[in-house]
Amino acid sequence: MKLIRQRSKSTSVFLVILMVLLTVPFQPVLAAMIETEATLAMSAKGQDARNTIKSILAREDAQSVLRAQGIDPLEAMARVDSLTDAEAVRIADQIEELPAGGNFLVGLLIAVGIIVVILAITDALGYTDVFTFIR
Amino acid sequence: MHWVTRTFSHSSDKTKNKGHCNRLRQLCILAFGIIGALLFFNGCASVSIKNWYQDPGGIPSKHELNAVPFYPQKEYQCGPASLAMALAWSGLQIDPDDLTSQVYTPSLKGSLQPAMVTATRRHGRVAYPISGANALLKEIAAGHPVIVLQNLGFSWIPLWHYAVVIGYDLNEGAVTLHSGITNRKITSLRAFENTWARSDYWGLVILPPYRLPASANEIGYVAAIVGLEKSRQWGAAAQGYQTALNQWPKNFAAHIGLGNSLYRQGELQSAEKALRKTTDLFPNEGAAFNNLAQVLWEQGKNQEAKQAARHAVMLGGPLIKEYQKTLDEIQSDEP
Repeated sequence: MKLIRQRSKSTSVFLVILMVLLTVPFQPVLAAMIETEATLAMSAKGQDARNTIKSILAREDAQSVLRAQGIDPLEAMARVDSLTDAEAVRIADQIEELPAGGNFLVGLLIAVGIIVVILAITDALGYTDVFTFIR
Repeated sequence: MHWVTRTFSHSSDKTKNKGHCNRLRQLCILAFGIIGALLFFNGCASVSIKNWYQDPGGIPSKHELNAVPFYPQKEYQCGPASLAMALAWSGLQIDPDDLTSQVYTPSLKGSLQPAMVTATRRHGRVAYPISGANALLKEIAAGHPVIVLQNLGFSWIPLWHYAVVIGYDLNEGAVTLHSGITNRKITSLRAFENTWARSDYWGLVILPPYRLPASANEIGYVAAIVGLEKSRQWGAAAQGYQTALNQWPKNFAAHIGLGNSLYRQGELQSAEKALRKTTDLFPNEGAAFNNLAQVLWEQGKNQEAKQAARHAVMLGGPLIKEYQKTLDEIQSDEP
């Protein structure tokens, strides 16, 4: 049980990092136009989700993983800030769904499935280049 | 094989259940068939179709769309096929094979809902998710086909499947689907409800941006258009915001969104007009003044731009840093 819990924690940290790094495109600093989406009242849910993800990224073990990948933890945080509400909620929900026991494998499978999907989408949009078959 | 699926779904459907998206999983279902049947009698007997819909009012008791072409799916390709049918109805002829790369995830042998939504947007069409029978009937009655996600298997061994609902007949208690390799598959409401319930009654309406979903609500529709803007479909987004404004003339996001989409298309004068209107209607929204300032500045109207930017900064709010940046930029442009 304890082992599973430890594993699921480190797995969730890993997943958060993976998802954030791979799904969030670098957004060029555009002209001063305020995006339509930003003008929609930011849902409390979206903000909560962002905080959840950030609190995990703020953990020391998470930061050491980031650094090992040559990524500045501050940069990772910045990417979390540029997630849309919906994306942040989706990732946070995934973390929630990774349970401490029982159906951990199921949660993991779902999370991995979603990573694959998001990657495929961003890939096709040209943000990332992980799946060559899309091109 | 059919025995299992049919038993579970209470199906009175005489057509064969071919063309599922996850054929491999049928093997699992066979293996677990007996256990599943036991669980079914135990657990699902309470499933009932009472209250499947409350008469939404103002719809005919039966309706079927003739203008939705049928594309039979290839193995596992119910997502691309369903999407292609809905897009074709909306006026875009696209081969399902060309959609495969955009929606299909090979490792999952299927297409997930977010992929269906984003692919729709990338083709400049509005993807409007709906939920529940009332919305479904309203859309069909309005002439809009609806992509539905069904689970033809068990909740714990899912056999997910996309189909396009093209008609209903409340007297007969049936819906008509373009499903798998079957053109105009008539399914009893009971069987349909059982399989649709497991996706929480998820449906997707795909519309050209000048057409409003019959079940549209203000927030949901504007959010769908923001999605078009995110997909860089500026022209479709502008049209969609206009559609939203025809219905909800006081929606701020739709007003500023119209200005923003026109700006992205490089239509600075139209953008200026839309944003001026936004600032008139919403004199306390700094974002509108900020964006107007930018558009004015790019047209060389520096004095007016500076005035608008100052006003945005004065109004303040959580985005005040952005407004200040705009103002600084314009001021640094002074000769």
